[in-house]
Amino acid sequence: QEAAKYEKKVMVLDFVTPTPLGNSWGLGGTCVNVGCIPKKLMHQAALLGQALQDSRKFGWEFAEEVKHNWMTMTESVQNYIGSLNWGYRVALREKKVTYENAYGEFVGPHTVKATNKRGVEKLYTAERFLIATGERPRYLGIPGDKEYCISSDDLFSLPYCPGKTLVVGASYVALECAGFLAGLGLDVTVMVRSILLRGFDQDMANKIGEYMEEHGINFIREFVPIKVEQIEEGTPGRLKVTAKSTKGNQIIEGEYNTVLLAIGRDACTRNIGLDKVGVMINEKTGKIPVNDEEQTNVPYIYAVGDILQDKLELTPVAIQAGRLLVRRLYGDATSKCDYVNVPTTVFTPLEYGACGYSEEAAVEKFGEENIEVYHSYFWPLEWTVPSRDNNKCYAKIICNIQDNERVIGFHVLGPNAGEVTQGFAAAIKCGMTKEQLSSTIGIHPVCAEV
Amino acid sequence: MGWEEKQVRGFPEFVQTAQRYHGRPIFALFCGDKDAEGRSWCPDCVTAEPVVRKELHNMPEESVFIYCLVGDRAYWKDPNNEFRKNLKLTGVPTLLKYGTPQKLVEEECFKADLVRMLFTED
Repeated sequence: QEAAKYEKKVMVLDFVTPTPLGNSWGLGGTCVNVGCIPKKLMHQAALLGQALQDSRKFGWEFAEEVKHNWMTMTESVQNYIGSLNWGYRVALREKKVTYENAYGEFVGPHTVKATNKRGVEKLYTAERFLIATGERPRYLGIPGDKEYCISSDDLFSLPYCPGKTLVVGASYVALECAGFLAGLGLDVTVMVRSILLRGFDQDMANKIGEYMEEHGINFIREFVPIKVEQIEEGTPGRLKVTAKSTKGNQIIEGEYNTVLLAIGRDACTRNIGLDKVGVMINEKTGKIPVNDEEQTNVPYIYAVGDILQDKLELTPVAIQAGRLLVRRLYGDATSKCDYVNVPTTVFTPLEYGACGYSEEAAVEKFGEENIEVYHSYFWPLEWTVPSRDNNKCYAKIICNIQDNERVIGFHVLGPNAGEVTQGFAAAIKCGMTKEQLSSTIGIHPVCAEV
Repeated sequence: MGWEEKQVRGFPEFVQTAQRYHGRPIFALFCGDKDAEGRSWCPDCVTAEPVVRKELHNMPEESVFIYCLVGDRAYWKDPNNEFRKNLKLTGVPTLLKYGTPQKLVEEECFKADLVRMLFTED
């Protein structure tokens, strides 16, 4: 859309290869269809369930037991996503961007072949190309994985309640899904190979895990599934999962209605003909290395988003990188995308917002003696009356002593962590120091005042 | 041709007609009432109607096109009228594909290519 503003002739090729179970979706990419949007809505559904329980302590009286209907929630979520898909179609049309629902792949210099779902092929040439193909969930490579397991690509439009679920993985996708499924009243177990939330501050990751465990989610640690078999067909059916310990020869078995794989995502760069135009990719990870102007080793081909090597896999980052790239190419802008101090939030039952360095990364970069960590537990006022946990919410900032105690890391665990973190991210970008933070008067009574 | 048009007035008649054709693709254009000379109180509806009619041949086979007059200006301005409440309409003219989130509102209905996209989208 940005390029069209500069009167360039633009075409978008978007195609979703169906999941092993045949699932597909409309225009908008992962975030809109099978990522952030449905995830946050379902997380909200779970939070509302908790709120209903809390409400009795605040005086609301209702006699009936409160139950959750998976189909009602899923239909509403999918309807909203449908309106977004449609909105994008209208927006592209209005801005005169040509859209084709076809699979694009390079066949030669400056040339792509687009194949639609009926197999009809067309060739297109262009001056420049932007690759933003993103990633798809990884499968385990064990017997029964593609036939019986689902991934996040299938979960948000599942036409039946998943029932007793085993979530395999300890990524934020795994924990967020496990979190809201449990919040909706389902029996959830998480099978973890080693640590939780690799790449995130481990102190915070462990607190998240502890909270989830104390709130009814089972964790099986240091095991990996080796086989998935179907005991009974159905919606949902019954599956038997056999798993082996990572530390010895112990084998365990379990029965679940649904097995959700969330062990990682792989870049969609292997089958788009990059070799035909000489674009270098990291053979091991499939990611594309680019310079700080998002350009690949082939000057007329650019890339943004999750497929980039060593960059954050976040929707707003991809959007910002894309917009700035176009402004540099066709406008007079020179600003590059700032990949440092990008705030993120993990929407686990106890939300976690972060910006900047984790404690481990700060220690590694600056040395333990040069950083100072300030932290505090807090008890949200809203949790007092319903007697919810008083020692779980937590915030910490990491400061660089050598640089005026500049705040280089911000971490908060508590309700609305995302909202809280956004403001602090702007402050960190401005180079806020601990003193400036301390001298900012807090809003009372809110969690963020801590 | 492969499609047919039904003209209705008011919410209950609209719902009845839509239900009768359940299972077929249904497109609906909502406009303000017309006076004795056939002119609507809604100027945008006057502009949109011919644009939409010109694209009707692009609707899939078996489609039903419901042309629905919503009521007079006073009825429409009431924030609690049945179309606003039940169909979530926010303005007239509105062209929508019944049962889906796909719709075009007000000036969007003036654009032939958007109308065509609505009629031919999967």
